[in-house]
Amino acid sequence: MAKALNSLFPTLSRVRLTVQLIMLFVTVWGASIVGHYSAEKISDALPALSCAYDMDNGGYCVLIPLQHQMHHRVGEALVKAQEVGLKILLPLVMTMLTFLAFFFVLGKAFCGWVCPLGTLQEIVQRVGRRFGVAQHTLGPQSVGKVRPVKWLILIGLVFTLPLLTGMGITPHAFGNPYCDICPSRIATTLLTGGTEQFALNAESGWHFAIGAFANTLFGFVLIGALAIRQPFCRICPMLAMNAAFRFVSLARLTKRAHDKCDKCGICAKACPMDIHEIHTEHGRKAYHDDCTLCGRCVEFCPDDDIIALKLGPIPLFRSSREYYKTRVKGESPEGDVKPIKLVRKPAPDASA
Amino acid sequence: MKRSLCALLLGCASLGTAQAQHTHAAPLAPEAAPTPWSRAPLLLAARGGGRGAASIVVQNISSQAVTVFAPGGDPARLKLDYPAAAGRTAIQPSGATMGNYHWVQAREERDTTVRVASTVWYFNNPGDAPTQLLTQPKSELEIVPTPLPREHGHYRESERWRFLVRWQGKPLADHPVTMETEFGSRSTLFTNAHGVATIIFPRDFDPEKAQAAHDRPKAGFVLSTTHHAANRQFMTAFNHTYSPEPERSRSLAWGAAFSTLGALIAFPLLRRKEATHG
Repeated sequence: MAKALNSLFPTLSRVRLTVQLIMLFVTVWGASIVGHYSAEKISDALPALSCAYDMDNGGYCVLIPLQHQMHHRVGEALVKAQEVGLKILLPLVMTMLTFLAFFFVLGKAFCGWVCPLGTLQEIVQRVGRRFGVAQHTLGPQSVGKVRPVKWLILIGLVFTLPLLTGMGITPHAFGNPYCDICPSRIATTLLTGGTEQFALNAESGWHFAIGAFANTLFGFVLIGALAIRQPFCRICPMLAMNAAFRFVSLARLTKRAHDKCDKCGICAKACPMDIHEIHTEHGRKAYHDDCTLCGRCVEFCPDDDIIALKLGPIPLFRSSREYYKTRVKGESPEGDVKPIKLVRKPAPDASA
Repeated sequence: MKRSLCALLLGCASLGTAQAQHTHAAPLAPEAAPTPWSRAPLLLAARGGGRGAASIVVQNISSQAVTVFAPGGDPARLKLDYPAAAGRTAIQPSGATMGNYHWVQAREERDTTVRVASTVWYFNNPGDAPTQLLTQPKSELEIVPTPLPREHGHYRESERWRFLVRWQGKPLADHPVTMETEFGSRSTLFTNAHGVATIIFPRDFDPEKAQAAHDRPKAGFVLSTTHHAANRQFMTAFNHTYSPEPERSRSLAWGAAFSTLGALIAFPLLRRKEATHG
């Protein structure tokens, strides 16, 4: 049994890919398993981009109720000068608490193991690597410029614009602006065979402009993912929200200081989010905002017990030299895969 | 479309006056129409009621009360009666965490006839799914959606939805069901061997005539059927709203054009040499 499991799942990446594919099914077509109405019951607060416009999915992303609550409850209540008390803020608090309940166990692993858009970008990236598309990584300077964008999107598109719309300041087209530009909305609904979200909404100029931006972003992410690892994840507001609460969660990444780290840096090369801090820092600072808990840095750390994925105090997976040696045989830290070799089946031995 | 394109090119033109706000993306029952568009018993939504409540107008049926069935929760509150004065009443969720969808029903009983109007109301109220609510019989003759639209879902033109016709809790096979819409479409169809009528919503929407209080235009439809038993005529109706099909306001060509533009912007990345930027 152990041998069979080992051959099926020889690496952490294989385990993660399996989980990702299962979760891709659940977050895109999962209603067929969990039931037609279960999406709204199970989640409404999934810390992953499981799109509520997809009528076949098994759970909703937390960002849509957040935008609706800012728009319809907080914003409208403010403009009506009602008391912003428990009646208004309670749903918002409930959404956040449900999100935290999900988040408490898996934390940022929702990004690296569950999010359908993350999985799709990884699949596209694998295709790119397989066909030898040049990979572009971001150095510390560039990555530093990109990192604030996710916070701006979270504050601007998930909280502020819906709130202003609820207050009647911005047009109704800005009621749920993040969802309107989210590539997961287009990608997951296309996967269910629906073209409605791919088609541009032309009911008003604003709708059209937002839709034009969304589709352009979708096209860019689709092709960009061939050359850049996880292009959208880097600016995703869910990453920011998960980052804000990452130390609350049981699931986390740990790294201890080691003499060889200065000269090595393979972990940073393996990181799909180009987090150079995993190389240069240790302790709390090594578990960065942008980490998706994918575990590649753990897999590609060539020393024993330096980096680990943990659930509370329990190590789930630790770096080890033996594992590293096996791992690099199949794939380089940057994601280059071994070419597929077609070997002719040996002819049966005539003398036998 | 030209107007839309101009808006895109102008980009950050001044923010317009906010348009009317919709209450939620969830499906809602229709608001009261000024003139009846069907003779079938109807339960229509009227303005007012406040957040977390719904104002209901009882039309084409003489009923002193409206009964609200909740999907789950406190057994004592699963079925509540609301008195209807002058054909109006205001209903509320039966309790916190008792579920989103509530079944709303009015009944008129005479010597030889029983008439029932029914609809569903979506209160943003977490709780049980409506599966059990739809399964349990609530009157002798019923038209039951199987299933209801999910949150963020709606009945829409050209879509195909299934409705189960039950008599005493059992499916009525090969039974006629009439569909009428606010825009004058009328058709009769028959249930299959399992008592299921599959409705294709007509493409008859006139957005200019539809109520424009919310961002998504909607209009009423009603399904009705009759059955005779024990020298009585039973008539039941289920009414709700439907919306225009999305293709009316969406453009697949523009969607493809802008996606291609995004792909073209990313394309140079594929041609450049491998590099670390910054």
